[in-house]
Amino acid sequence: MTRFLTPSKIGLLALIELYTEAAVPTTSTIPILSFVLNQLLPSTIKSQSRSSNSSSLESLPFLLDLHAFETLLAAHPSAAGLPGRTLWDKFLQKLWGIDSLNALHEFFANRAFLLAKSPEEIKKDGEMGIPPPSQDMILLSRTSPFGGFIRRAKVEFDRLRFSDALALWIAFAKWRQESKVYCIRRNGALGRWAGDRALEDGELEWGPEATEMLELVAYGNDLDGIDSGAVSTDDVEKLLEFQVEQMQKFGNRIPYEIRDKFKGILEGGVTVPSLSHYQNFLDAWRAGDYPTSFDNLHRYFDYTMQNRDRLFYQYALMNLAVLQADFGCFEEAVAAMLETVSTARENKDMACLNFALNWLYHFGKAHPKFIRGSESTNMLGVEREGLVFLRTKAKETGMWTLWSSSLLSEAKLGMSSGESIATAFENMVKSSQLIVEKNMKSMMGPQMAMSSSLWGRLGVSHLSKEYCEIFLSCHARYALFDDTLRFSCRIAQFLAEKGHYDEAMKRLESMDENSLRSWKANQYWLKYRGILRLKRDLHQNNLDGADQLLSQLLQSSGVDADPDLGFEISILHIDYLIRRTDFSRALAKIENLASAMKEEGDDIALRVKLLVLKAGLQDKSGRPQKGFSVAVRAASIAWRARLIPLLWAAMGAIANILNSLSEFQAAAQILVAIIPRALECETFSMNAHLYSYLVDAHMGLAGKADAGSLKRKENLTRCLEFIDRAFDEYSALEDIKGQCEMMAKKATIMKVVGEPVLANDYASKYLDLKKEAALAQA
Amino acid sequence: MPLTEQDTAQLRAALQEAVVKCSERCLYQSAKWAAELLTSIPPTDEASEPEDSQMTEIPPSGLPPIVVTGNLDPEEAQLEAKEINQYLLAKSFFDCREFDRCAAVFLPDTVLSGILSSTSTRGPENATTPKGKGKARVSSGRSASKLAPILPKLSQKSIFLALYAKYMSGEKKKDEDSEMVMGPHDGGNTTNKQLVTISRFLENWFQEHTTEAGEVVGSQGWLEYLYGMVLTKDKNEEEAMRWLIRSVHLYPWNWGCWLEMTSLIGRVEDLNRISPHLPQNIVSFFFHLHTSLELYQSTPNLSNSLDQLLSIFPTSPFLLTCLALLAYHIKDFLAADAHFSNLLALHPHRLDSLDHYSNILYVMNLRPKLSFLAHLCSTVDKFRPESCVVIGNYYSLLSSHEKAVQYFRRALTLDRSCLSAWTLMGHEYVELKNTHAAIESYRRAVDVNRRDYRAWYGLGQTYEVLEMHAYALWYYKRAAGLRPWDGKMWMAVGSCLQKMGRHIEGIKALKRALLADSYYDAGVGSSFGSGGRDKGGAMDPEVLLQIAGMYERMEDMGEAKAYMEMCVAQEEGAADMEASVINIHADSQSSDDESRPTGGGTSGDTGTGVTAATSKARMWLAKFAMRMGDYTRAMQLATELCQDGVEVEEAKALVREVRVRLEIGGGDV
Repeated sequence: MTRFLTPSKIGLLALIELYTEAAVPTTSTIPILSFVLNQLLPSTIKSQSRSSNSSSLESLPFLLDLHAFETLLAAHPSAAGLPGRTLWDKFLQKLWGIDSLNALHEFFANRAFLLAKSPEEIKKDGEMGIPPPSQDMILLSRTSPFGGFIRRAKVEFDRLRFSDALALWIAFAKWRQESKVYCIRRNGALGRWAGDRALEDGELEWGPEATEMLELVAYGNDLDGIDSGAVSTDDVEKLLEFQVEQMQKFGNRIPYEIRDKFKGILEGGVTVPSLSHYQNFLDAWRAGDYPTSFDNLHRYFDYTMQNRDRLFYQYALMNLAVLQADFGCFEEAVAAMLETVSTARENKDMACLNFALNWLYHFGKAHPKFIRGSESTNMLGVEREGLVFLRTKAKETGMWTLWSSSLLSEAKLGMSSGESIATAFENMVKSSQLIVEKNMKSMMGPQMAMSSSLWGRLGVSHLSKEYCEIFLSCHARYALFDDTLRFSCRIAQFLAEKGHYDEAMKRLESMDENSLRSWKANQYWLKYRGILRLKRDLHQNNLDGADQLLSQLLQSSGVDADPDLGFEISILHIDYLIRRTDFSRALAKIENLASAMKEEGDDIALRVKLLVLKAGLQDKSGRPQKGFSVAVRAASIAWRARLIPLLWAAMGAIANILNSLSEFQAAAQILVAIIPRALECETFSMNAHLYSYLVDAHMGLAGKADAGSLKRKENLTRCLEFIDRAFDEYSALEDIKGQCEMMAKKATIMKVVGEPVLANDYASKYLDLKKEAALAQA
Repeated sequence: MPLTEQDTAQLRAALQEAVVKCSERCLYQSAKWAAELLTSIPPTDEASEPEDSQMTEIPPSGLPPIVVTGNLDPEEAQLEAKEINQYLLAKSFFDCREFDRCAAVFLPDTVLSGILSSTSTRGPENATTPKGKGKARVSSGRSASKLAPILPKLSQKSIFLALYAKYMSGEKKKDEDSEMVMGPHDGGNTTNKQLVTISRFLENWFQEHTTEAGEVVGSQGWLEYLYGMVLTKDKNEEEAMRWLIRSVHLYPWNWGCWLEMTSLIGRVEDLNRISPHLPQNIVSFFFHLHTSLELYQSTPNLSNSLDQLLSIFPTSPFLLTCLALLAYHIKDFLAADAHFSNLLALHPHRLDSLDHYSNILYVMNLRPKLSFLAHLCSTVDKFRPESCVVIGNYYSLLSSHEKAVQYFRRALTLDRSCLSAWTLMGHEYVELKNTHAAIESYRRAVDVNRRDYRAWYGLGQTYEVLEMHAYALWYYKRAAGLRPWDGKMWMAVGSCLQKMGRHIEGIKALKRALLADSYYDAGVGSSFGSGGRDKGGAMDPEVLLQIAGMYERMEDMGEAKAYMEMCVAQEEGAADMEASVINIHADSQSSDDESRPTGGGTSGDTGTGVTAATSKARMWLAKFAMRMGDYTRAMQLATELCQDGVEVEEAKALVREVRVRLEIGGGDV
């Protein structure tokens, strides 16, 4: 494998020569120039000006073959020479003009003539009597992309050893072989040995047989075979850089077919660029293969040590820390990151330092236990101060990503501790402005997630869902796969809350398969699917199935589990226990969670949710009054923090308690007031509960009224109406238990009203539902 | 020289035996040479076919045994039979390049050290006695009795193999010990440390087997060859030659031995002196041919004998190479190119002596062909000195001299005795203006092989650049001595003498150069009849100008004028009668005169045209005519100069002056 030069690069040089000879007509200049530039410029510059690139250029193969040149050039007529000839003909003429190894040497030696001469050279030429080049020639500036490429190619060729130059020549001969047929057809003058003048000249002398033998000795016996020298280290490095960038950008693994292709390329060459170890590291990391990724990371830094020295030590440490954290070795991760911080400080690498501090902050949020031990060094001071510090630092050093992420963190912190919504909004708007201004596509995910969750907390679930959809349809292309996955899961959750389990499942199933090869993402995905199924099972009262799922889900909720999912699973576990009527364990679980949360200072919304659950548990266990203080506290906290859905849930719990205290009127008033607004939240289970509480309240009112009075009748009718509503909600959720309860209530009311036939009907319906559920379980 | 059927069969048998015997003794190159020759004998087609079918029943001499041959000497045969197992072991060690181990199979280190210590006691005695025949005699009485039990009783083949392995191990160590090529510590003086041991052993062995009459009984030539080789390394050349001649008498088919002899012969006289002592057979014929070529001989006699050999071995690559080299030596590059190219087609994998081919292509400036050759060599084996030299030459032609040096260095690392690489590296260093390195590498080339005129010439050139003319003269003389018929050498000698102010000698040398050139060209013309050389029988105007200049310096104006005229005359070519008139005027140009009409017949356009030299000569003539008062002549010459467009300003000034003078002169009359 050569370092830089490949046959296709020779092709590019020939193409540039064509251009400088003014053989390219004015109309076709732009496509041809952009073709060449597309090959020359590094991918980072290209990606910035993506919009201007036509799609045809992007679909070019990684290793340019002759077809790529043909499709480009055959369409353009030549500006000089015979009419009817295309640029493709001229190009081939140039290629086949290189007819010996010596001609290749000359070809490269002549590249210097394409460059504009410096004044000294012109002076020297004038002294030697060499006339200045003609005006028709387009001369390239030495510092232009073309000029730079030409000079680099020349230098690279000069430093090739003979055997390498030879390999290049043979690869080149093979590369252009396929165009031979065309050339013969077009010019008719190419002999059997075209392409090597020595053979051609020698044929007269040696005769065809001996010539063929010499050709075999010189070129080996597969001139038509697949080329091996067509890839240069430079190409591979470019490819690796691209691949690593993609992996870092999207968090994917390498697709199988690309990985195989890549292996094939790397096998051909002797020098493996050290970046490939990094790529292997990323791949192994994503695959969740801890030992391999560890090994590869060390290997990468061992190989790069020589040319980058210790200056990059902090990056090695940082990578190490992130890796350790990902695999749950938190102590080591923290230690490594702290060393990163001190090394970065030593080397005055502000970017690295800020990144490390940011990471430490987030890590501390996620795993307060581990950071506590090292907090004594007091790297960031109190949380909020730390954020402010980070923000100002980011501003100073111009790290926009860090700046906006610290703004978002601040918003999140405010939200989770139940502070002013306005402040949170302010922070988010600031960050949004920054993101738009600096075109940081990668930050779009966190920003959208924050907006979505904020609206969700405020009870506008429609808007919240819409944010998710927007992200998926507009920004997912530029964002990490993790973000995409999280948003999809959120949507699935919304759907599940409305009882569209199948649709939610489908949503998850349709995720990109290759991206799901990433271990972490795959875990998350699997768990989320598990949660969805668990929810459905619980609602359908399929407790055995739920038990099975839960046992699996609970198993994997160790330290390394995602905290959001962990909480969700715990809630579902509590629900399961309640359905099993194992109230004492449910209560214990709630208490456990609450105390853990208090310790870690977790999100206020979760705490409120636990309070509401506790109140519900008291209700279930038949002592609703005991939950009064809890419910009131939940309601007041939720109100203060504007956690609207939870507020309604808490109010529902209070109404229920009022029911139990026979304060039916008050309960009904509360419920009537909140139900319309609760409906906005689109949480069907809560709606069903609220309706059933309302039914209870009206029932109580009816009971308080005189028998046979209009008021009683009115209340009973209302009861029926609300029962139907609740039944609808329950059936949307496929909640058998709720449905049955409603049916039973309805039958009872019918009995009270005095319509035994209908009552009978409903009773049989009740039995049908039970039967159905039993069938479904079996 | 057509051979009879029987002769051919005999020759074939001898060659077959030679291949097997040489490979038995691990003399791979000799075996290769013999085998190449063997296959180049054309098969006797119609006669052999039926014969063969008969032969299948009773093979006459049978197929030669591939691994081991029998020995005609019964005693040796018995010993060999006894040692066969050890021999096979030793041979396989040798094939695996484990030389010391191979040697130890037959001659354990204790035996060898015993020999060393016993002889070292004789050290002072040894030093006092002159090396040569007498030495063995002097100590024979005492040491024979003392040494007899030490020498193990072994067959000659085993002894040879063991000692040769020892020798090879010494060479290998030597290579390993020597520093980087042209590095700071690379004095080229590391020696083979095993030589002493081997020579002691062989001395004793020969002593033991020498009868009172001075005859070595039962010896088969191989040990003599080895002894000769060892003596060569010791620079004891006379003695070495004696032993080598003995060896070829005993066994002529060992080509390596002949090659050793070639390397010992420095000049034609040596060869002629040796010739009568050689056995008269076909190999000796080969030797003569090869050595003559090494000495840059190119007599018709030589090409004649080459033709004869080719009739026997028509496709022998060795002979074809000789043919090409012969053409190269007489500077018939086209023919040499054709021969080599033919050879290439016949044996595309053969790299031997392709470095010479690359030299030819270099001189002919055939870049594509040279690049192809380099390509071929590199694909066949890029770590052969020949390949590296070819590649180096190619880079030199591309003017990338650093790379060329790099490849020559590689060639030398692979084989330090690669003569052409040393010389060519010297050339590259000259190009790179690194005179010290150039001198060193030329010097090393000369040390390796004193016959290389290019290295001598290069040395001279380098010293001339350094303006050390006395040194330069010495080296130029050496070069001219090696190639007396090459005008370039004499020209160099002449100009060197001129710079030293020794004009008379200088003029002699330059005249000789003129003579050599024309003689040479005539020779080419007669033997090949080719008109390919464009310079016909013309003389180099530069030389003529130089001679004229020297005469002028000596204030011999008549001669100077004559040579100037001759120089100008070269413009029109040799057909110009004026030139030959003046030729007669010059002494010692008679041979030139004879060649002139023959060349003149064909050459209407062989003139050099206007060159810097002729213009200078013309200017000088014009000025001279002016001084002499021959204004019309001066006018004519000056206007000619104006027409030629060289030094127009000066010529115009001259014309004006002449006009003024003419007017004045006219006025006077």
